[in-house]
Amino acid sequence: MNRTKDLYKYFLTRLAIAPLMLWLISSLVFLLLRVAPGDPIDAILGTRASEIARSALRARLGLDQSLLNQYFNFLKGLLKGDLGQAIISQEPVREIIAKSLPASIELGLISLIIAILIGFFVGILGIIRGGGKTDLISRVYGISTYALPPFWAAMVIQLIFAVLLGWLPVGGRFPPSLIAPEGSGFLLIDSIKDGNWPAFKGSIRHLILPASTLGILLSGIFSRALKINLEMILDSEYIEAARSRGIKESQIILNHAARNTLLPILTIAGITIASLIGGALLIEVTFSWPGIALRLQEAINQRDYNVVQGIIVVISSLVVLISILVDLIIAIIDPRVKY
Amino acid sequence: MVLTKPRNLKNLSNFLGLLLLIAISQSSCRTAKDKERITVASAGKISSIDPAQANTFQELQLLSALGDTLYKVNSDGIIQPELAAGMPQFSDNGLTISIPLRRDVYFHDGTKFDAEAMAFTLERFKEIGTLSYLLGDRIKSIETPEQYIIKIKLSRRSASIISLLSSINLTPVSPIYYKKYTNKFLNNRFIGTGPYKLSYFNNQQQRIVPFSRYWGRQPKNKGIDLINLSNSTALYGAMRSGEVDILLSNSINETQRLSLHKLSLKGIINEGIGSPNEIGFITLKSNSNPFHKNKIRKAIMYSLDRETIVSRVSFGLREPFKSLIPPHLRIHKNSYWPKYSPSKAKQLLLEEGYCNGKILTIPITFRSNVPTDKLLALTWQSQINRDLSDCIEIQPNGVESTTVYKQLSKGSFNAVILDWRGSYQDAEAYISPFASCTKTKGLYCTEGESVMSGSFWTKAGLQEELNKSDQILSKLRLRKLEDIEKYIADGASYLPVWLVKPRAWSQLQFSKPKFDVSGHLLLEELTKLD
Repeated sequence: MNRTKDLYKYFLTRLAIAPLMLWLISSLVFLLLRVAPGDPIDAILGTRASEIARSALRARLGLDQSLLNQYFNFLKGLLKGDLGQAIISQEPVREIIAKSLPASIELGLISLIIAILIGFFVGILGIIRGGGKTDLISRVYGISTYALPPFWAAMVIQLIFAVLLGWLPVGGRFPPSLIAPEGSGFLLIDSIKDGNWPAFKGSIRHLILPASTLGILLSGIFSRALKINLEMILDSEYIEAARSRGIKESQIILNHAARNTLLPILTIAGITIASLIGGALLIEVTFSWPGIALRLQEAINQRDYNVVQGIIVVISSLVVLISILVDLIIAIIDPRVKY
Repeated sequence: MVLTKPRNLKNLSNFLGLLLLIAISQSSCRTAKDKERITVASAGKISSIDPAQANTFQELQLLSALGDTLYKVNSDGIIQPELAAGMPQFSDNGLTISIPLRRDVYFHDGTKFDAEAMAFTLERFKEIGTLSYLLGDRIKSIETPEQYIIKIKLSRRSASIISLLSSINLTPVSPIYYKKYTNKFLNNRFIGTGPYKLSYFNNQQQRIVPFSRYWGRQPKNKGIDLINLSNSTALYGAMRSGEVDILLSNSINETQRLSLHKLSLKGIINEGIGSPNEIGFITLKSNSNPFHKNKIRKAIMYSLDRETIVSRVSFGLREPFKSLIPPHLRIHKNSYWPKYSPSKAKQLLLEEGYCNGKILTIPITFRSNVPTDKLLALTWQSQINRDLSDCIEIQPNGVESTTVYKQLSKGSFNAVILDWRGSYQDAEAYISPFASCTKTKGLYCTEGESVMSGSFWTKAGLQEELNKSDQILSKLRLRKLEDIEKYIADGASYLPVWLVKPRAWSQLQFSKPKFDVSGHLLLEELTKLD
């Protein structure tokens, strides 16, 4: 009972700190964007516009107000859940995020599944064939996928499977010859919901390369973490005890050791999910994947303050929430954790 | 510790194997493309197709297929009526233009195009157009005395206004459809009069279909799917793999452009080349040391070996160029910028006390996100090391383009590499942005486009000459502009380097891509060959 109470208190404390963190992040982003050279007026009008045209546009976009005024307006909007309008396209920032975030989440989740599947397979294979060639290959795989520069790996995979073999599309999220199904923005779900199988197949085909690339690159972390933790646990006394009771090795790994190994894996998965929501920028750029990271990059280039602020606030909120959630799950399932 | 492979793991490997098999079987059969439609790929995404807002190459390319203009410029630089029924009539004092309009034009929403619609478009552009400064203070008022006649009253005589009316940013929009958008942008829809109408739009993908009530010739194809990919390798790969039918070259890197060019020479793909309309140049800041001296700027001008630089950077796909006006907009073909001559450069520098142990250091800024700029800076550096190492030292310095544009008018760069594409097809659109200066202090410009371009260079009486040129309603105007170009060359603050021709490639089963004079791909001319 005491533990549940502590857990509840721990959760509420973490939750209470979150708004403070978000305020700090958003204020920092607001300030840094204004300090950075260049402004959206240049992005819109180029260098040739007259000072009169520039001033008029500056006034129309509210950029002529004092920095403090702009900051308070931004905070006021934020409290109301209003992220403002894009300076360049004048589209509500909320809509821009609603269009690009599902693409990143879809890519991130599928990549994570691939990473976990491959990571577990390679990690466990390394344990089973410990000390042999398979173990060596598993180690090399774990380190090299972790060390590979993502843009390079992505380009090589793109060149082989899309350009040379022509098996899969080079980039984009959907075939140009079809109209993307409307709905949640998750094309796989939307096409299943509509029973639109050509759209589903098209989405899958476009998803395979970026998701596999990202999945393979992430799988190294999982395989290494799994192997190291599993090795440690397999040497522990309770496993020895299980062995002495004559329990099969496969059952020892899957039923006794793997569960305890999952705790650090869960932490890694949490961090990975958080970073994937921020988007795997290089993967999105290479495969022209219209996700949140690509959108953020464009907004930074255009100095579209409102879009950059909005995207960062949303990403930060998700990252904070996921971290809290992961900490909570670990605290619930692992009685050794103190808080 | 050696363990035996557990059964569950066997199942896992079987499952993964099956997954791989499904993936391969899925991927090995390509989706059959819609045979009736043509897929065109280009770089970057489209943020807006509102003519009052659109300003990127991709946005204007799409608009050029969806809309028409009152006039258009042909490949010889001659203005021809499009939505106008004839050439404009200037009043005796040159301050009023009457333009008769076609009577057989419909908007994509079925409403009729008339003078009211054109007036609505121009007023809307003046009110919210991001490039409304192009109209500047030229238009005083717009009147519609008859249903198919529009009168534009000017605040000053302006011959270039007709060329300006050929800008796709001034394509008419349906007043009924845009009623709620008179003072705000409509970014994802477009109702105009062009040969195609928009049937689907998102930032990365657009679909256009022929407009059945189009007044002119119907497109030769059943529609176009436009896709925007975010990087050069993806575009190149999509063309090589046959995933796209047509590729536009505006953002593809030079080695890939060369590879596609070579493929076209081998007859593996088609290559279409348009009129050159983009000029790459170097600006020298004339109001501070060391380039405040004309002799030093001239020495730099002589030191530039365009042939070598262009062949190294673009493998000959760009043209060395010594003018600020593209050839199709010129009367004379002569150039006012001198030929490369290291000996003359050295002589001028010696006169200014350089060489013989005193080296002139030139920090040259290039836009770090434009690969050819960097190559230009590095090649020029090597060329100077080869030819004039005892006199000049080039120090390249990369800065992100947005920062360059912001800092340009503040005089932050002694020398900077830039490019320019006129907003409309007229020599004025290529001269004014370099020479226009509304306020001077001593020998230097303190307000005007010369400041915006980072050179601060001007010449006594130059602005008056520019103003006068715009009042000449004949071909003499072009001669006048070329005279102004001569002064600019003599000022040696701008060094044109190369001329860029737009290119596009098509798979062999499609027709060769063609361009209009503004460098837009003529989508309506694309066709699938039998």
